[in-house]
Amino acid sequence: MARILGGIGTSHVPSIGMTYDRGLIENPDWKPLADGYKPVAQWLADRAPDVLVFFYNDHVTSFFFDLYPTFALGVGESFDIADEGAGRRRLPNLRGHPALAQHLAESLVNDEFDIATFQDRPLDHGCNSPLTLMWPHQAQEPHWPGAIVPIAVNVLQYPLPTPRRCWRLGQAVRRAVLSYPEDLGVVIVGTGGLSHQVHGERTGFNNTAWDHEFLDRIVHDPVSLTRLRHADFVERGGAESVEMIMWLAMRGALSEVIRPVHQNYYLPLVTAMTVAVYEEVPAAADSRSTAPEAVA
Amino acid sequence: MNPQVDGIEKLPGTYAFDVGTGVRRYRINRYLWQLTQPAHREAFKADPEASFERAGLTAEERRLIRERDWLGLVRYGAIFFVCEKLARVDRIPNADMYAAMRKETMDTFLATRNVPGAR
Repeated sequence: MARILGGIGTSHVPSIGMTYDRGLIENPDWKPLADGYKPVAQWLADRAPDVLVFFYNDHVTSFFFDLYPTFALGVGESFDIADEGAGRRRLPNLRGHPALAQHLAESLVNDEFDIATFQDRPLDHGCNSPLTLMWPHQAQEPHWPGAIVPIAVNVLQYPLPTPRRCWRLGQAVRRAVLSYPEDLGVVIVGTGGLSHQVHGERTGFNNTAWDHEFLDRIVHDPVSLTRLRHADFVERGGAESVEMIMWLAMRGALSEVIRPVHQNYYLPLVTAMTVAVYEEVPAAADSRSTAPEAVA
Repeated sequence: MNPQVDGIEKLPGTYAFDVGTGVRRYRINRYLWQLTQPAHREAFKADPEASFERAGLTAEERRLIRERDWLGLVRYGAIFFVCEKLARVDRIPNADMYAAMRKETMDTFLATRNVPGAR
């Protein structure tokens, strides 16, 4: 059976990818960001997942408003790197996992999560930006260290899926992964945020106190975050920070109790660039769910 | 009526993009989105006015694009992320867009940031 090895929350702003592409990893302005991804890369190298299930959003790159899906599951064999106006990043294509993806589609839809499926659509910075620092690839075959199953979430065009719906999607993804018959190691990734706003006169808004509160609650009290509305996220963290609901999808896919093993927070310009790694805590080792008779 | 965004209009300098905006401003959003396609991009770079004409953009839409009026674009209903495609075609950093959105010079904008060199 497939196993969930843990979860990663990460920002996906283009500058994370640019730090890699332009060789700025040792540049003093970018080193605090790049260094924050080193423990993530080490953790992924140690855990060696077969697949990353990746909650991300497309930025009107491969999906346009002629048909903009609320949730869409990438089922293809491989995914190209998107050209977002300046040409394609020089990266190998990402390998999909059609068998796991088909199982996810079947499980989700039978779980009454009527997700769309896609293939043959490139992945933009919402997915590929953090990957280059946290999951280093080889320029030659076989490309990346493993496969990816992307799940696109509409965080651009209201109405967006509610925070609670994203949480429940994560729970449904957990049921799906854990019922996959083949032995696969899976890491769940949720992207976006944290506080930032990049449009309108309120551009440049940040809220560090809220960011840290969110990081605490996503570990210890995620359900309380599912009760917030989109407007609450926008007011507290800036308009585009509403994408933090994708962290809730990741969190919903993890065990009830999780152990944070790494966190980095860097706010140089307009976005609070954050990455965090979480490990599963099996229910038996969870003191909160251990009944007295079980202890005896 | 979307209870999730009730009250969002009270936030200053914030223009939530919804399905209604997506319908009303479909053409300009599609035009800017298509800059991800090399053929459209090259046609735009070679002769923007002819490209505007073929796309049937209004005079106001042409002005917004011609002048790279970033704040005007998002207030009009172009979502930020299609404006970003135009910035990539122009090879300008997002910081230029951010300063313009705030109606500030680049120096004034950068003076408000933690690490001005990170742009």
